Formats: sequence, C-alpha cells, structure tokens
Amino acid sequence: MVYVGLLITLAGFVLSLLSLSLASSTGARMGMVLAGIAISLVGIIGVINQAYVKNAIWKR
Amino acid sequence: MKRSLLTLAATLLVALTAAAQTPAAPAAAPPAAAASAAPAAVPITDADLKGVEAPKAELRAKGDPDGNITGTVADVAVSDAKKGLTISDLVNQVGQNKIGINFVWTLVAGFMVMFMQAGFAIVETGLCRAKNANHTMMMNFMVYGVGMLAYWLIGFALQMGGVGAVGNLGGSPVLNSEFSITLFGKSFGLFGQNGFFLMHNGSYDVAVMVIFLFQMVFMDTALTIVTGSAAERWKYVAFLVSSFVLGAFIYPVFANWAWGGGWLATLGTNFGLGKGYADFAGSGVVHSVGGLTALVLAIIVGPRIGKFDRDGRPHAMPGHDIVLVLTGCFILAFGWFGFNPGSSLGASGSGNLRISSVAVNTMLAGMAGSFGAMFYMWMRYGKPDSSMSGNGLLAGLVAITAPSGFVNPVCSVIIGLIGGVLVCLSVEFVERVMKIDDPVGAISVHGVNGIWGVISVGLFADGKSNYGGSWNGVTGSVTGLFYGDPGQLVAQLMGVSALLGVVFTVAFVANLVIEVLVGQRVSAKAEVEGLDLPEVGAVGYPEFELKASAH
Repeated sequence: MVYVGLLITLAGFVLSLLSLSLASSTGARMGMVLAGIAISLVGIIGVINQAYVKNAIWKR
Repeated sequence: MKRSLLTLAATLLVALTAAAQTPAAPAAAPPAAAASAAPAAVPITDADLKGVEAPKAELRAKGDPDGNITGTVADVAVSDAKKGLTISDLVNQVGQNKIGINFVWTLVAGFMVMFMQAGFAIVETGLCRAKNANHTMMMNFMVYGVGMLAYWLIGFALQMGGVGAVGNLGGSPVLNSEFSITLFGKSFGLFGQNGFFLMHNGSYDVAVMVIFLFQMVFMDTALTIVTGSAAERWKYVAFLVSSFVLGAFIYPVFANWAWGGGWLATLGTNFGLGKGYADFAGSGVVHSVGGLTALVLAIIVGPRIGKFDRDGRPHAMPGHDIVLVLTGCFILAFGWFGFNPGSSLGASGSGNLRISSVAVNTMLAGMAGSFGAMFYMWMRYGKPDSSMSGNGLLAGLVAITAPSGFVNPVCSVIIGLIGGVLVCLSVEFVERVMKIDDPVGAISVHGVNGIWGVISVGLFADGKSNYGGSWNGVTGSVTGLFYGDPGQLVAQLMGVSALLGVVFTVAFVANLVIEVLVGQRVSAKAEVEGLDLPEVGAVGYPEFELKASAH
C-alpha cells in the first residue's frame, strides 16, 4: 500500500501540472491545482500513513 | 475565562482584517511648482573634482574625535595618479560602495542564520528526555557539517548554477547554466549545472561566495528541522546519510525551482500566473521542505516506545528542560532577523530599503503567533502552555517567512496569529488522528505553517513592494488575491502541490532506500536505555542518575 500511496501522492502533483496545459482560465487552473493538492494529501494521510499505522509498534 | 478570551480573540481578528483591507489613501502628488523650481542638473566634469582636497596632514595628526575628517576624498581610489581623481573613479567608488553594503548586509544576515543552528539544537534537546540529550545535540551539531559538505560538493550547483546574474551582488554572470526541458511549449528549468566545489566554470568569484554562504545556512536550517521529528529513536548513521541526501539533492532541486530560475519561478513569465511562485525567504523552500521530510522520517521511523498505548491513545512525554526550549526560541527569533530581511540580498538599491518593513513584519508575526498559541492552549486546556507558546512564536515566524517581503504589518499579524493557532490544531491532528509521534512539533511548526506561509503570499501580498520594478522577471509587484490578482494564488498553490507531490515522494523513496541499506530505527533496548551511550558513546549528563523508562 505504501507504493500505491506514493503513486497517488505523485499523481496529485501531475494533475496540478496538467492544469497549465489543459486549462486557460485562472479559476479552472485553481480548481485543478486544489484537486491535485487534495489527492496528494489523501495519498500521504489516507494511504501511506495508514499503511504504517496498521503495523505500528504500539499494536504489537 | 474561556468565553472572554474567545471574544477578545474574535474581536481582535475582525478588527485586524478590516484594517488590513482598508484601501490606502492615494499618495500625495508632489507640488508641481516645487518640481518646476528645482535647479536644472549640471553635469560634473573631472575639472570640478580638482578643487576637492583631502584634510591636511597636520590636521589628521591631531586625531579625529568628531569623525568629520575620516572618510574623505583621500579614501577614494584613484586609477591614474597622473590624472588625479576623475568622474570615472568617483562613479566606480559609488558602485563599489553599493555592492560593499550589500555584501556586508547579506554576509552578516547569513552569520545570524548560522547561529539559528544553536537555537534549533537547544529547542530540540530541551524537548527530548535527558537520556537522549547528547544524541539529540550531536545530530543538531553534525547536521551543520554534513549539510555544508553535501551542499558544497553538489547542492549549491544544482540550486544556483543557473540563476544568472544577481544584480544586488554585482551581477556576476558565472552561474549561468540551467538544465531545462520543454513542456507545454515552454521551458521548464529543473536544476543548475555550474558552481560545483565553488571552482567550476568561473565560480571562484566574490559574489558567488556571498550567495553560497547565505544559501548554505538556509539549506542547513531545512536539514536541522528533520532531526526533531525523528529524535529519540533515529539511528545516527541513518541520520548522516539521510541528511547528506537532503542537502545534496532534494532541497537544492526544489530551491532551484523557486529561487534558482527554475520552472516555479517562471510560472509568471511562461503562464501569466502573477509574478510566478513567490517565496521571499523560504516558508516553502526551507521550512516546508524540512517539515515534509520530517513527516517522512516520523512515518518511517515510527513512534517512540510508550508514546501510544494499545488503543492508540497518545501519552505526553515531556521534555527535560523547558528553559532550554524557550531560550532556543529567543535565539531563533533573533536569527530570523537575518533570515527574512537578509533575503533581499542587499540593503542598497533596487527597493532594498524595504528591509525595514521585512524586519518589522517578522517580529510582529512572531509575536502574534505566540499569542495565538498561548490563547488557544489557555482556552482549550485551562493553562497557557510554555512549549506550545514557544512553538507558536516559531509558527508565526515560519508563516511570515514567505510573505515578509510582500505584505503590510496588519496582514503580518493576521498571518502570524493564524499560524499560532494552526500549529496547535496541527499538533493535535498529527498526534491523535494520524498517530504520528513528533517529539518537537517539527511537522506542524515547519511543514504545515510553511505551507500556510506560501499560501498567504497569494492572499495578502499588497502590491506595494518594488524590488527593482519586477519579480521573477514580471514587471510590477507581487499582489495577492485580496488585492486583486488571483493568478498569484494559483502560482503559490502550484508550489504547494510540488512540495506535497514531489518533495514528499522523493524524500520518502530516498529514506526507504536508507531504511533498507542501514536501517532507520535503533533497537528497542537502546531506545529504552537512552540513545546517548549506544549511539554516541557518552551520556549528556554524567553526574545525574537517570531512570530507564519507556515513558
């Protein structure tokens, strides 16, 4: 799951980057960049961290 | 008590917000009559300078108690003794004075930032337990050397090797090679290629040395943030390798994107997004990079034994010396006067007198941050927590680091106040929701507030700053959403996305490799006994009897 989380985190950035090409208005670009940031946060907090918490030292 | 504090805080915030957005009165136009009465400029010739005489030798021999005859025409270098003083000599001296002022300003600011290492060291050591004091201090001590070595060998060239001429420091053009790719029809600068060892391709240059010193201590600040989140269980060898990688590759590449002429800086010229990503002194470049890497390490290394019980409830593990912690915060606040105002890279010319505003913004935001955290803790837990008040000060300072050069004093207070509350909320979220153990709050102070600082530029920049008429190659002043430019906010958010998506990911992969190669965490036995003896061979307080405890 850690590697999946890393891919999701990176994918968020790719979406933000694509806003430079796919959108021309400032509002559309802002929407895509915010979506990209949200996806990256899901990857970090929801996937990568959860994968580590699942096997945390205090659960053993 | 809680209700009255809440009311006071809310009233203050509303009043500050209203004041911050009050349009400034138009500047008074200079009286036309006065302008027309000004005498016409008369060109000075070499002949005019012949009458300018140095103080007589017999006068100098009597000393100069009032300072009126020290620093005169006699101190202006003459290029040709036969011709005597010429206009050319005079103009060259003026130019050298300007660059000299900027050199001294930037170097002294860099020396102050270097001393912040001591502040970080004692803040982190004070927040750790006595049994790990030597280990924590040693990490903070050696991160200075490891980071500097990595940066001198590799990092500086990757970061600044393509920055071009820095006008404030004499415009030396030797750092002129940027590796770029073409994307969406535009050039995307990725990293610099000149300046390895400070000898490569003409980089043995006085201006380059100033840039190196100043940028090196910034990089080291980012590195020392990481030692806090992984303290009390990080293997010393892993710390050395991880810090080298961060100082040589990860930090410099992002810093190139923001400050070295890379693709974030050119979002304005290439895509019309404000003035491009604007980060005056490094909320994103320094603090978010350090804070996100701190998050990476805290996840990989895992929580300290005893931090969470079997149900995942966190337990407080108080540090051993709050006096050290708050003294360290003061040292850091002092160093921040080098960090932020020094980032102008000059005090003379190109709008650099704005350094006074930068310095005041810095101190105001720190003050507001400490109040924000203190009042939050007071209302939530009934007492004004000391260590969180210290973290609130640092959070305010971190948050104002990016916008310090672009905002007014009222907005600085708002940014700092939000930072102070944000650090408390973030510490609770990191510990209770994410179940991450961050002994010093590095993730919240630097990572979260660094990102807040980057965003706040896109909100609060008031368009009044003018550093030579442009920023990142775009004419005009950096202006945020609340002052009319939503494009600047998009540029700032793009920087945040790069931090989360690229810096975090690359730092994670790098530290996973280190985990496989040397292991990141010490043994449970060493952790319970304390890391001083097993990791660095001597205890921090040999005359004290310390109890081995999991808590």
